[in-house]
Amino acid sequence: MNNPLSIILFALISLLFITLQTTLLSPRNVGYVFPDLNLLLIVFLGIYKDVRGSLVLAAGNGYLMDVLSGNLPGTFTISRLSAYLLVRTSSNHVYLKKWIVQGLVIFLATIFSWTFIISIFRIRQDTYFTLTLSEIMTQAVVNTIIGIPLFWMIARLHAKLQK
Amino acid sequence: MGFLKRRTILVTLILFFASILLFSLYQQDKSTNNPLSRLVLAVTYYPQKFVSASTNKVVSVWYRYLDLVHLKEENLGLREEINKLRQERFELYEAEVQNKRLKKLLDFKEASSYPVVSANVIGASPSILRSQVVIVDKGTGSGVTQGMPVASYDGIVGRILVTAYKSSEVLLITDPVSAVDAYVHRTRARGIVKGTGSGCVMQYIEKKSDVSIGDKVISSGKDGFFPKGVIIGTVTDIEADGSFITASVSPHVDLNSLEEVVIILKNVDSVVLNE
Repeated sequence: MNNPLSIILFALISLLFITLQTTLLSPRNVGYVFPDLNLLLIVFLGIYKDVRGSLVLAAGNGYLMDVLSGNLPGTFTISRLSAYLLVRTSSNHVYLKKWIVQGLVIFLATIFSWTFIISIFRIRQDTYFTLTLSEIMTQAVVNTIIGIPLFWMIARLHAKLQK
Repeated sequence: MGFLKRRTILVTLILFFASILLFSLYQQDKSTNNPLSRLVLAVTYYPQKFVSASTNKVVSVWYRYLDLVHLKEENLGLREEINKLRQERFELYEAEVQNKRLKKLLDFKEASSYPVVSANVIGASPSILRSQVVIVDKGTGSGVTQGMPVASYDGIVGRILVTAYKSSEVLLITDPVSAVDAYVHRTRARGIVKGTGSGCVMQYIEKKSDVSIGDKVISSGKDGFFPKGVIIGTVTDIEADGSFITASVSPHVDLNSLEEVVIILKNVDSVVLNE
């Protein structure tokens, strides 16, 4: 049974993560090597599909990123929603609850998310944003390292609410 | 009597030493250095020396230990005091630096021909896709609207991109989508200052124009956003670009350590905004 409080919990976590990402962990402060907490939460929602309202939460998180990154026209909303759907549709496998598989999913979701955004930029022929493969890889590694313990913590919090 | 019987040896010894004492007192007048005295002295010397030396050592070690304990306490106290003084010095330095910044901002406010509102930077962009965005703590509640120019006492910072009641987003001049109509202060050579992500470039300067490294670049006021004559930066490099000159411009404001800014309450024409 899904506790309706869980949507409040995840809304609060979203707020906390975006606050951290715009202050202490902002790329303006820490450069490329920053954990993308917002993406991590979206991947979590994709893996733990029993979370009520996760689609809305994923879209909302993408929108938060868009607005706070200089009011981008839906770039993050679409890319993160796509990442969420991709993880969610492939999350029937029981091994997705294993930390090593989760790490791999985070790694691949980060690469997917940036490939998606860069493809949009290439199609639109916007040349002002470039990100090298090594920079994408670095972020994927950072997200994986931070994501695994974070997933464990959020999963425990979520499980406590379910009881 | 029973006591005496039981402690015969003790009593004998006491009497023996008493007699020696009496004998010595008796002999005092005749010689102060009698053989018995010397003998006594000689016999007692080593044990005395040993005890004395040992005691001194123990006492010395004990006193040293006490001193160390005391020193340690004193040391800790002094360290604490040093840390407190350091903290105080740091706070004073911070206050002094902030005071200087605020004074410069105040000067800027007084010199500005438009009303201004000061704001603090409270956040920044959460993504690397557009990292040249900061969030300030003033919004529509303070009269801030979209497109208003943002500056610091050192020069132009950017312009307001999105507003809420209590906060706003500022697009910095270093963002690739930012553009400021500008001219070179010395020669009035005109161009457009665009962001590169990490700095700025002044593009579309006519080839015949006189531009040199070190020239100051200021806003022309012709873009409808920024007021005229606010400093943008300094030319650091020049290169020919077809029929134009492109100059690298180092922003005058240190945009990586922005703390306080002023929003110039200059309303922007909706036509300019839509462009």
